[in-house]
Amino acid sequence: MSILAYNGGAVVAMKGKNCVAIASDKRFGIQAQTLSVNFEKVFEMSPHLYVGLPGLATDTQTVHQRLKFRQNLYELKEGRRMSPKAFSAMLSNLLYERRFGPYFVEPIVAGLDQNYEPYINAMDLIGCITQPDDFVVSGTCASQLYGMCEVLWEPNLEPDDLFETISQALVNACDRDAVSGWGAVVHIIEKDKVTIKHVKTRMD
Amino acid sequence: MALVELCNLESQVNVYPFQKQNELAEPEANMNLVNPMQLALPPLGNPISFMKQFSHTESGKPIKFDFQHGTTTLGFVFQGGVILAVDSRATGGQYIGSQYMKKIVEINDYMLGTLAGGAADCVYWDRVLSKQCRIYELRNRERISVAAASKLMANMIYSYKGMGLSMGMMLAGYDKRGPSLYYIDSEGTRTQGKVFSVGSGSVYAYGVLDSGYKWDLTDEEAYELGRSSIMYATHRDAYSGGIIRVYHIKADGWKHISNQDASDLFYDRKVQNI
Amino acid sequence: MALASLPHLSGMKKNDSRFNPYDDNGGSIVAIGGDNYLLIASDTRLSTGYSIYTRNQSKLFQVSNKSIVGCSGCWCDTLTLTRLINARMQMYLHEHNKEMSTPALAQMISTMLYYKRFFPYYVSVVMGGLEPDGSGWVYSYDPIGNLERSKFHAGGSSGALLQPLLDNQVGLKNIQNIVEESITLEKASRIVQDVFISAAERDIYTGDEIHIMCITADGIKEEKVDLRKD
Repeated sequence: MSILAYNGGAVVAMKGKNCVAIASDKRFGIQAQTLSVNFEKVFEMSPHLYVGLPGLATDTQTVHQRLKFRQNLYELKEGRRMSPKAFSAMLSNLLYERRFGPYFVEPIVAGLDQNYEPYINAMDLIGCITQPDDFVVSGTCASQLYGMCEVLWEPNLEPDDLFETISQALVNACDRDAVSGWGAVVHIIEKDKVTIKHVKTRMD
Repeated sequence: MALVELCNLESQVNVYPFQKQNELAEPEANMNLVNPMQLALPPLGNPISFMKQFSHTESGKPIKFDFQHGTTTLGFVFQGGVILAVDSRATGGQYIGSQYMKKIVEINDYMLGTLAGGAADCVYWDRVLSKQCRIYELRNRERISVAAASKLMANMIYSYKGMGLSMGMMLAGYDKRGPSLYYIDSEGTRTQGKVFSVGSGSVYAYGVLDSGYKWDLTDEEAYELGRSSIMYATHRDAYSGGIIRVYHIKADGWKHISNQDASDLFYDRKVQNI
Repeated sequence: MALASLPHLSGMKKNDSRFNPYDDNGGSIVAIGGDNYLLIASDTRLSTGYSIYTRNQSKLFQVSNKSIVGCSGCWCDTLTLTRLINARMQMYLHEHNKEMSTPALAQMISTMLYYKRFFPYYVSVVMGGLEPDGSGWVYSYDPIGNLERSKFHAGGSSGALLQPLLDNQVGLKNIQNIVEESITLEKASRIVQDVFISAAERDIYTGDEIHIMCITADGIKEEKVDLRKD
């Protein structure tokens, strides 16, 4: 079993019309054993910037803490918020520092940039960024998520439709993966508000 | 020659010496359609080490045989007979291949088998067993006992020991000696008992089962115990889930009690402390 | 005779790369069964590693007037298995003077796969057919013959991508307040085309063309639809 699948978990992010959505499952387990069902893998880094860190749970936490530390330094020094692009570059840099002994996380960044334009990207575990203009997926059920998103996603979705699309994609993908699921959480990020919804899923 | 066949002489004298020899030299493809015990053997040596050499294609792509695996099953004997309860998930690696697998096999009207481990292994050998039990019935004009059936199964499996079969099954039934429950696995174990649980979710199921089990359970209490043991197991174990099936075996044969969605059951119980 | 005792192989060391009987030639199969039809489709790309053998090889095999076997994975195993199935179908026809029924065929395939338990066929088999009552059902197998009967299934290299989608769109999973009804042939056909188009976007072993076959009481209809070819 791959170490990336040791704890299980999945994250997906999508672009909509003037909004983005990022969602994760809530399982934390050790291989087949489910230990907790409220382990969220998506973190708020600033009001319009979220990062999802699926992979090895210990690295999810470490990378999140180190990111927050570096982001705080940046914001203190610069006296302004970090843009999603700068944040991604910093994250990519942080990951590449461990090129030969990597953190086992495959991050997803989602947010609105300075002009409130939707921004999403995905990285591999050593920080190679891909920046598509539709959706990004990561985690143990990535292939299931690709299949779902490829059919369900369409351009310029309104926030409500985007919520429906991303939750259907995540929930149905998790239902075909043994090590993710057990509840899900969706963040819809708009210019003037962020909506967090917890989605009921299968608990087996 | 028709007479030879009619009198069944072939079985006693070798009337086609040359032809028979040729047949031996080149066994028919899919012999197991004729004799279920006769499976193809790999060209060289032990099947496990033989298959290990073929982990990648020549272009370097991994070859992964993700055989479907089944998981949490339980059975117990009590005052009212035998209860069997199982989940219905089949996984190939981490991928959930099926949520509706039938893990209780109906061997005859008085005997049931459960399956855990390699799905194909269990289903195939249960089918062979059910054929043998029927033949026994026709030959002896009485139903086979659970003890005898379980021994047939254990012996069949034992002849393939060390070749990579993976199965852990329970055989439950009602015969002249009353209700009985056996555990059989691919290592050759065959043992009788009152309470068993088999599969990766069995540790969780045992926790609930042992705390609620007593001989004097009423039928309803027994169904409920089986059901909730499996339900908690599906919640904690990633490789168990889907539908919870409950069967009850009494003196007049087995009866299907219920099929319930494990997740619906979880929400019905309002397990709020988790 | 052990391989190493052959003269030209005797000098070989243990870790030398040697003949490998298995390959993964990719390909995907999707099947949906309805009240009075059975729809089964495969792509037509045959590949190994990063190279394509042909863009024009269907993975569907008609074995009777009522059933079609779809088989992908190692192409040599596919050919062997389907030829053995066809031979058995003919033997049955001549012995019993009628075609083998779909449920009987389903069990036979399972037994034939299990025969090779210790040196399995590297294949993903999806069989679909009309049953005696006229309804369409899908039978899917793991490489050693574990059989499942269902109304829809996706197998092969894109199986994991497509199955959750079928669960959602055909099985109506995770949809609230909806009446469950069986889907029409037109809708099934549209879903099959949609899912193959999305599989071709993300799976390099699926593409080129979809070969769709549909069995109804009137017979079998075939259709080809283009997919991306890159």
